[in-house]
Amino acid sequence: MEISASEAQESLTQVQDAAERTRKMVAYAGGDVLFVVWGVIWVVGFVRTHFLGLGFHSPRTLAAHWIWTGLIAAGIVITIIVSRRHTPVQSPVGKRIGWFWWLLYAYVCLWTGLLWPFIKVQGADEWQLFWKHYGAIGATVPMFAYVVVGLWLDHFMIWIGLAVTALAVLGLFLLQPYFWLWMAVTGGGTLMATGLLIRNRWR
Amino acid sequence: MSDIDAVIHQPVRLRIMASLVTLEATEQVDFTYLRDLLEVTDGNLGAHLRKLEDAGYIGVKKTFVGRKPRTYVRATAKGRSAFESHVDALQRILRAPGEAMSELGPDRA
Repeated sequence: MEISASEAQESLTQVQDAAERTRKMVAYAGGDVLFVVWGVIWVVGFVRTHFLGLGFHSPRTLAAHWIWTGLIAAGIVITIIVSRRHTPVQSPVGKRIGWFWWLLYAYVCLWTGLLWPFIKVQGADEWQLFWKHYGAIGATVPMFAYVVVGLWLDHFMIWIGLAVTALAVLGLFLLQPYFWLWMAVTGGGTLMATGLLIRNRWR
Repeated sequence: MSDIDAVIHQPVRLRIMASLVTLEATEQVDFTYLRDLLEVTDGNLGAHLRKLEDAGYIGVKKTFVGRKPRTYVRATAKGRSAFESHVDALQRILRAPGEAMSELGPDRA
């Protein structure tokens, strides 16, 4: 049996194609679902926050905190389920990325707790402004994680992280009265669009 | 061109090995994802994996996630080395089109 140059070329093309598809599979398995899920969480959370306000000073604003707590808890549960069901590769890198997310979340809680006694905000308006700044931090922390994970896996994640971070900062300073709606559209919208892009382009 | 590997050269097994060597040495891929990635049937993939396992090119681990059985596949060091040699041989054929033919052993199916 013999191998011709054209057969060799075809084999090498198959090798490249399989390698490329494997890289995409590893980087984005389940990612389409998770991007859409977190995009929906952002849209619902930020829109509700726009209409309810945020703060501990009234039952109405307190409700927005509980809504956010419920949404984030639901998002974490869905993330764990999707990650377990859609993880095609058992990898030390994947486990390290998972631990990175948990540690980042734990550190943000720790930093918030350490700073809290020194926050001297007074009045409903100041609290609304404070929560918008805190909301911008809350939105950009996971984007920081996207950038870090992107450095390991795929540069596509870096651009998503940087874009949403820039939009959050712009909205905070230029469109403050509509900041929550701005984050719903630009942040949540970007996450959902990314999920749909992954599903349509790489599946 | 003795580096052409008859076990690896079969198209499905070639793509299996290309996929597995793309992963890190410590990583292993789920059988069902490999099946979907390569667009083959369970039986077809299983048969080709057995050939590669018999050659010592891959390792297969059966485990449970919750109550569901899962099979994970990884390339061995021997498999990675054989695949690298095979790809080198293919590239040599392309570089020397005048000597384009290479002998293959009987195990090509």
